[in-house]
Amino acid sequence: MKKLKIKPQKLFNVAITYLIILAVCFVFLFPILWLVLASFSKTGSIYSFEGFFPAEFSLDSFKRLFTDTALYNYPRWFLNTLFIALMSSLIGTALTILTAYVMSRFRFRTRKAMMKTTLILGMFPSFMTMTAVYLMMTQFNLINQQWGLILIYSAGAPMGYLTQKGFFDTIPSSIDEAARIDGASNFRIFVRITLPLAAPMIVYTLLSSFVWPWSDFILPQLLLKNKDLYTVAVGLMSLDDSEFSRFAAGSVFIAVPIVVFYFALSKFLISGLSAGAVKQ
Amino acid sequence: MANLSLKHIYKVYPNGTKAVSDFNMQIDDKEFIVFVGPSGCGKSTMLRMIAGLEEITAGELRIGDVVVNDMEPKDRDIAMVFQNYALYPHMNIYENIAFGLRMRKIPDVKRNKQGGVVLDKAGEPVKVMRRYSKEELDEKVLGAAEVLGITDYLKKKPKEMSGGQRQRVALGRAIVREPKVMLLDEPLSNLDAKLRTQMRSEIVKLHNKLQTTFIYVTHDQVEAMTMGTRIVVMKDGYIQQVDTPKNVYQDPANKFVAGFIGTPQMNFFEGTLWRTGERVEMRFKGSECSVTASYDILGKVIPRYLDGKTPVWIGLRADDITLDTGGGRDGAAIKVKISHTEELGTETLVYGDIDLARDTFGESPTQVILKAAGFKNFQSGDVVDAVLRFENVHLFDFETEESILPRVPKYNYLTCNVREGSMELLGNKLVLPDAMQCPDGEYELLLPVDALSSGGEIEAEVLFSERADGKPLARLNMGGGTLFAPIDAKAGERVQLCVDLKQIALRRDGEEVISPMPLVNSVLGTFALDRVKAARKDGKKGGNVNEYAFVIGGNKYRAPTDVAQKMFAALSGRKAFTAQFRYEFTPYDLKISEHGLPAEVEKVLDYGTEKFAKCKVCGSDFYVCVQGDVRGTICLEPDFEKIGVTETEREIKIV
Amino acid sequence: MQEAQTTKVKNAFSERGRKIAAWFKGLPARTKEKFAFAREILNQGNGKVRASMLLMGMGQLLYRQWAKGILYLLVEIAFLAYFILRGADDLLGFFTLGTVESNAWYGIEGDNSVIMMLMGILAWIALLFYAVLYIANIKDCYAIQCAADTLKAPKSFKKELSELLDKKFYKTALALPIVGVSVFSILPIIFMILIAFTNYGGDIVPPALVDWVWLDNFGRILTLGQFAPTFFKIFGWNIIWAVLSTALNYFAGLGLALLLNKKCVKGKTFWRLFPILAYAVPGFITLIAFKYMFSYGGPINQMIVDAGGTAIGFLDIDAKWTARLIGLFANAWLNIPSSMLLATGILSNMNTDLYEAARVDGASAWKQFVKITLPYVLFATMPVLISQFIANFNNFGIFYFLRGGLYMEGYFLASDTDLLINWLYNMSIDNNYYSIGAAISIIIFIVTSVISLAVYVLSPSYKQEETYQ
Repeated sequence: MKKLKIKPQKLFNVAITYLIILAVCFVFLFPILWLVLASFSKTGSIYSFEGFFPAEFSLDSFKRLFTDTALYNYPRWFLNTLFIALMSSLIGTALTILTAYVMSRFRFRTRKAMMKTTLILGMFPSFMTMTAVYLMMTQFNLINQQWGLILIYSAGAPMGYLTQKGFFDTIPSSIDEAARIDGASNFRIFVRITLPLAAPMIVYTLLSSFVWPWSDFILPQLLLKNKDLYTVAVGLMSLDDSEFSRFAAGSVFIAVPIVVFYFALSKFLISGLSAGAVKQ
Repeated sequence: MANLSLKHIYKVYPNGTKAVSDFNMQIDDKEFIVFVGPSGCGKSTMLRMIAGLEEITAGELRIGDVVVNDMEPKDRDIAMVFQNYALYPHMNIYENIAFGLRMRKIPDVKRNKQGGVVLDKAGEPVKVMRRYSKEELDEKVLGAAEVLGITDYLKKKPKEMSGGQRQRVALGRAIVREPKVMLLDEPLSNLDAKLRTQMRSEIVKLHNKLQTTFIYVTHDQVEAMTMGTRIVVMKDGYIQQVDTPKNVYQDPANKFVAGFIGTPQMNFFEGTLWRTGERVEMRFKGSECSVTASYDILGKVIPRYLDGKTPVWIGLRADDITLDTGGGRDGAAIKVKISHTEELGTETLVYGDIDLARDTFGESPTQVILKAAGFKNFQSGDVVDAVLRFENVHLFDFETEESILPRVPKYNYLTCNVREGSMELLGNKLVLPDAMQCPDGEYELLLPVDALSSGGEIEAEVLFSERADGKPLARLNMGGGTLFAPIDAKAGERVQLCVDLKQIALRRDGEEVISPMPLVNSVLGTFALDRVKAARKDGKKGGNVNEYAFVIGGNKYRAPTDVAQKMFAALSGRKAFTAQFRYEFTPYDLKISEHGLPAEVEKVLDYGTEKFAKCKVCGSDFYVCVQGDVRGTICLEPDFEKIGVTETEREIKIV
Repeated sequence: MQEAQTTKVKNAFSERGRKIAAWFKGLPARTKEKFAFAREILNQGNGKVRASMLLMGMGQLLYRQWAKGILYLLVEIAFLAYFILRGADDLLGFFTLGTVESNAWYGIEGDNSVIMMLMGILAWIALLFYAVLYIANIKDCYAIQCAADTLKAPKSFKKELSELLDKKFYKTALALPIVGVSVFSILPIIFMILIAFTNYGGDIVPPALVDWVWLDNFGRILTLGQFAPTFFKIFGWNIIWAVLSTALNYFAGLGLALLLNKKCVKGKTFWRLFPILAYAVPGFITLIAFKYMFSYGGPINQMIVDAGGTAIGFLDIDAKWTARLIGLFANAWLNIPSSMLLATGILSNMNTDLYEAARVDGASAWKQFVKITLPYVLFATMPVLISQFIANFNNFGIFYFLRGGLYMEGYFLASDTDLLINWLYNMSIDNNYYSIGAAISIIIFIVTSVISLAVYVLSPSYKQEETYQ
């Protein structure tokens, strides 16, 4: 039998590697852990913490979050956010996927011009146009309307079609051609062939276009003046300093579903992120 | 179950590159056609145009009797197999094969709930289109799967299968629709060597079983040779040669085809040919040796290459060079310095150089590859004698690389004496017609093979006869000279010949004294549309109808509808009305008439049996077959049904 | 080294210059080519095509293409109705920006300049859409003429509808995205650009009348004592911030990916969950958490106090560099996970043969990284790197949440950590300096696009091929 021999230099190398990884993981975990702990704090103020840990633990903050709705109607905010994010994600994904498919598969006269235009438009700081959007929404009577937000989120979504286009570019065009010879129209090819093949990409797009409205704060704050229409982000920002544990609890509550999604879909995430980046 | 007709097909990209140029071909029903050529030669583009995946820039493509240029792929009744299989990854094999059927509707008669046929008022069954039923799908898919031996995999997904199995599925997907034409685009190039050989024979078997037209694209000449009933060799968008594998191998049309078909590659030597009497001496550049061959073998070689000066390419396949074991045949051996050998078991490939001073890696015009039977032991540097078998020699022009040893020679190259208005040709005397009178003296005579036909007053003896390209060809002895003529006769017979004098050319001191009569008259013109009132029988006012006209020299001539249609097929939109065309007429399709093209007669050429008027039509020279004497201004009425049309800007031949 | 770099830059730009020169040289020929078809229609179109030019759909109706003709006619009617009812006024208002000032005393309802400008732009966009449809109408009619003249059966309406799902599916698919992007992205951007050339803001907000002032705002930012010092201070910090944060996020992400990719690390998926956790939690939550964490009562200060030190005002008004560093740190915490995931994806696509070859050649781990990994990853991610740079340059969230609403001495409506985008927000959203804000955003756009273009032109990705196709 061979004797297992490890060089001390190598052992040192492994030890250092693990040490760094542990340190990095700690840094990433620390603020979140702190926030989670704070949400279980009984008193609600950060000043009552003993060092890192709250003085007393309880589930009070969560209870109050859903029961004490007179001033801060968290359940209402939550439903608002869910509605807005879901609708924008569905519409935005549909538009993005369509745009990406067309840009990848069709060759028409204005295609290159369109691609360059989106590139330049993307360089403008996104919310320097806020004033215009606000004025426009007042003109269209969409202030204090959830649909106004959904409209803005989903109309802006196709601008980020490059990732999806990169993915479609990897599907060989001979599959489309085979389907065309089999008698399918381009619409049918899209529905019966391309969409099923793009399932991972659709999931990625759904998720990423869900997260943006889910955690956006600026647009809702600008367009939603009525407290009952607040999204969670705006609502949490309107909380008092003394309500820190309520803030923490509210945050944890909306962060958990996303974190679960991300963990479950981390594979798609990696392929999705690199699909748009790697040159075709 | 259809024949294809491809006429003057072009593919020109917007940036001006021509991927396919003037592709002409007739494909018969049940043929197995192979397009072969190096990458970028346009073979795949041609296939994709047949499939309808690429638009045809100009030309006419018919499948069966239908022009399909503007048809969608699905309406052309074709199926295609792709190089990377192009299976639908998310569907199982059954669904992959059934997809094409699911997309289609079939004609049927309308039935009521009890299954009875619904009749319309006239008592005819009501026709409807319906989808395939589940039972029909099952039957067809299982049938196709059985043919290809993939019944066990129907529930699997493509990614669970091997390359060979995937390609079978792709074939299944194609045959299940029972298409008129099967198109295969390099279907085997993603498979490994062993599987490729196996699939090759399976595809041939499939072709025999289905009895459908197959068109197969490959860059692999072995596939082309083994599978095709006819091979189309392409290069740079042009057809190089279309023929059976045997003919392509034995009589390559040019150096490219010769080098492309056959392994190991044909040996090409730069050299010269020198005829002395009945022998021809071949000299090889870079070698001291020269060999001689009988002129009999090289009889079809165009004579001007036999002067001992003009460089030519001499091509010999490895099989036609053998190692000399004994003393060698008389004058047919050449010295070769061996560089290395490859032992293949049954034979040994010997690599060497005829330039004994050279020791090169890579290709050079003096390198030689030859085959020796069995295992041979050679040292690098050995000098051996190689015997050349001239029966199968291939000769090509050094510049154009066209074969100078054609299977069917175009011309007879002779010399003749003209004295007092008649021509002395190999002991026969031919009276020259008035049109061909020329000063006395010795001339070179260019006599097209086609200008000879049987049944005249010249007599010759048949030396040898064969059939080439489906036509008879005889080598004749006439007064000591050899001639080729397209006549059907047996060797040893004596035949009577007739010469069409208007096709011959006489040359002296490199100048053409008498030119052959051009067989095509061409003139530039445009094309126009006229809206005219439709004449109606009942005398009511009719609407306007379109009439089309060729515009030549400012005059309009009514164009036949089918010609107009072909022009519209070649030129999109209304470009036909703005483009310039070259119109072509043969001398026989022009009649002198009351109306027509105004022509100024310059002179009348008398060829004895026929007379031709040379005239000016809109600045171009026209030759017209005439009966009597004509002079001054006449009108020529062309037979527009037989017009030739070429678009000048892109040089696209339309009709 | 530096000289080589400069010549490289020079070459890249002179190449660009030559290209631009060639572009201008070819312009007349190209324009001629572009208008060749228009000329052809003008020369060859028959009376029916001309009828369509006069009134959309007329030609189609004359060719008995009823459905299409009526549709085009309806478009024409709808547009005319819009134009007569309000479009024409909007277009005019776009130039005047209102003439009647409102006066409550006399009960005069004046013009709202800003709304007039917005509606003016909308009218222009509508006019553009109309022009596109108008041209399509003429082309369509000409196509019918071509078919009729060349013995081809014109397409039936049903066939054309089915083409919209087949050959022309791209038109169907892009219709909605284009309208959406035009209205919600392009229109606001044009509006903002135009605002920069007016005096909108300060006291001059509706009901006061706004006027065109052309380049005055840019002059005021760069020269006026009120804006200029603040602008240059913030601009300098903004550049430093963008470069530092982009480099930090990118290389730390790459390093982390490489670290987790090491052969000796077991349980890669588990370790990867921690950065993904950070990636998943919405940004504003983490940022507020950071703000509290670094506050006087936060855990960091408590630990310092417990250890016997005095609490530090990390984000206090005088904490210039600590606040900036915390900003860098927080931004890194937020963005390293995504660049790590990206690098992981790219590294998994990488050909490992290169490493084998390098190891055979005896290259050290560092050499392997510098010579193989880095060029490959840089090449593959150059477009992403540029977009990250732009995102960081315009990173609004970090300092808004960490230190928002702070105005400092020596700064006009800004603090020493604010980036241009924060200043822009403070001025236009919080303090009504709309036109100045718009001018700043144009400057931001010019700066970011010039920098990213330069980086892109110099990058290996560009030399190989056009990435953005």
